[in-house]
Amino acid sequence: MLRVMAPGLQSSLQARWRSGARHLGLPAAGPADTLSMALANRLVGNSPGETAIEITYGGFEAIIESDCTIAITGAHGRIEVSGAEMPAHESLHLRAGQSITIAPPHFGARAYLAIHSGFQATEFMGSASTDLTAGLGGHDGRALRAGDRLSAKGEARFQGDLQTPPALRPVFTEAFALRTCASAETGLLAPASRAALFGSAFTAGRQATRMGLALTGQSLRLASDGRMKSAPVFPGTIQCPPSGTPILLLCDAQTTGGYPRIANIARCDRHLLGQIRPGNTVRLLERTPEAAAAAYTEKLDLLADWLQPGPEARGDILN
Amino acid sequence: MPDRLIWTRAADDVFETAVTSASMARALAERLRDAGQAEDVVAGLRSVAVRFRPDHAAGVEAWLASLPEISEPSPETGPPVDISVHYGGEFGPDLGAVCTALGLAEEAFIARHTGAVHTVEMMGFTPGFAYVSGFPEGMDIARFDDPRPRVAAGSVGISAGFTGLYALAGPGGWPLVGRTLDRLFDPAGEEPFRLRAGQRIRFRAV
Repeated sequence: MLRVMAPGLQSSLQARWRSGARHLGLPAAGPADTLSMALANRLVGNSPGETAIEITYGGFEAIIESDCTIAITGAHGRIEVSGAEMPAHESLHLRAGQSITIAPPHFGARAYLAIHSGFQATEFMGSASTDLTAGLGGHDGRALRAGDRLSAKGEARFQGDLQTPPALRPVFTEAFALRTCASAETGLLAPASRAALFGSAFTAGRQATRMGLALTGQSLRLASDGRMKSAPVFPGTIQCPPSGTPILLLCDAQTTGGYPRIANIARCDRHLLGQIRPGNTVRLLERTPEAAAAAYTEKLDLLADWLQPGPEARGDILN
Repeated sequence: MPDRLIWTRAADDVFETAVTSASMARALAERLRDAGQAEDVVAGLRSVAVRFRPDHAAGVEAWLASLPEISEPSPETGPPVDISVHYGGEFGPDLGAVCTALGLAEEAFIARHTGAVHTVEMMGFTPGFAYVSGFPEGMDIARFDDPRPRVAAGSVGISAGFTGLYALAGPGGWPLVGRTLDRLFDPAGEEPFRLRAGQRIRFRAV
């Protein structure tokens, strides 16, 4: 049992992405950074998509109410257990009565706190992830508040003492270079704008939420008026509204949209989207779908050696 | 005319095809979903997208290439579902403005809106949101540039030739003409969303 004392800017329970229900308008929800959550779960003996806490910009405090093993990954500042500094990327065995605090990170946006056996949460359509916009799943379908008590699904103590191999620990900076594929309406961009899309640096806009963020600093021009019938969009899709400022969609994004879809962040690098902060630099590196798929397979094979997912959970590591 | 399906790779993990009608998109999407080979199959108004794991691309591509062409499905039969709507007032704050734009008296608007049999063309955008055709008069009604931060569950909007039904409360940019108090979403139900793509509905004024 863990009692939330301060949730920070936004904390929520997230599990595997909700798939198979986009045709009903249900977004993926789930972790904005699937890889960091998978790494946290591994350190406490869980499957990659087990229910964990996603913490935005630190500022998180909790009291441990019964003995448990937890782990913290992703973007975090100083981690303290009852005042003593503790490392990320390690199994932490905590005792009832101890407190845990996570300070704001200098780089990146979201930390993940996993507990052995996972947190109890409400399932909705195949996933326990909190859909914050619809108010479904997770903990009452909402972000965590001070005073919320979270329970582990089973025995919360884990016998292992694990550390993420240093080579597998993601490092976040103020700049993101993301492998990206052209999309259905890339051809609607004026030639100079297509060159700018894949050749220039963008700045992440002032609002960077789980739904999406604007890519500012380059105004793109569409060769047509850009009016089109509503069409499917996914996390990683980049839309170009008439303003010319592209919008990059994340895990909570809507399922359809009426703006031209000019690019898609490749699945191998999509986990990084959850760590982009306002003002960060974003560069899009054009790859063919085949090259992007090969990069996905390579990255997933590398990670799977450490994460050891079951066949069902392999897809939860990178989504 | 049947559509020959030409699939293009819209991402490392998405194939998409264009079709000639929303009903064709629905029928194709349903068929693909039933095959259980994709993570998600989503119909747009003139397109269908299939999302898959990039390391499964070759298998998915072969499967999609083996599909026969698709014909316009036969229209739905059976009685339409009734949806009760409170038009105007606090439930439909934009009814007056919509009627002015259409050059219709409010009674005439309601008579036309309730007189037609409508079809749910697409579910999407947000959970349970239904794009409903059957009121072409509203073709030139535009969405607000700045959406309302929150509209109530059951809100009924008009835009671009569609009636939009909000199953859940949330931000909304459609001019609102009314609200239904019928439950469009029940999280505990076997089928949480009352409406589905392809369903015919009739609006009743209450």
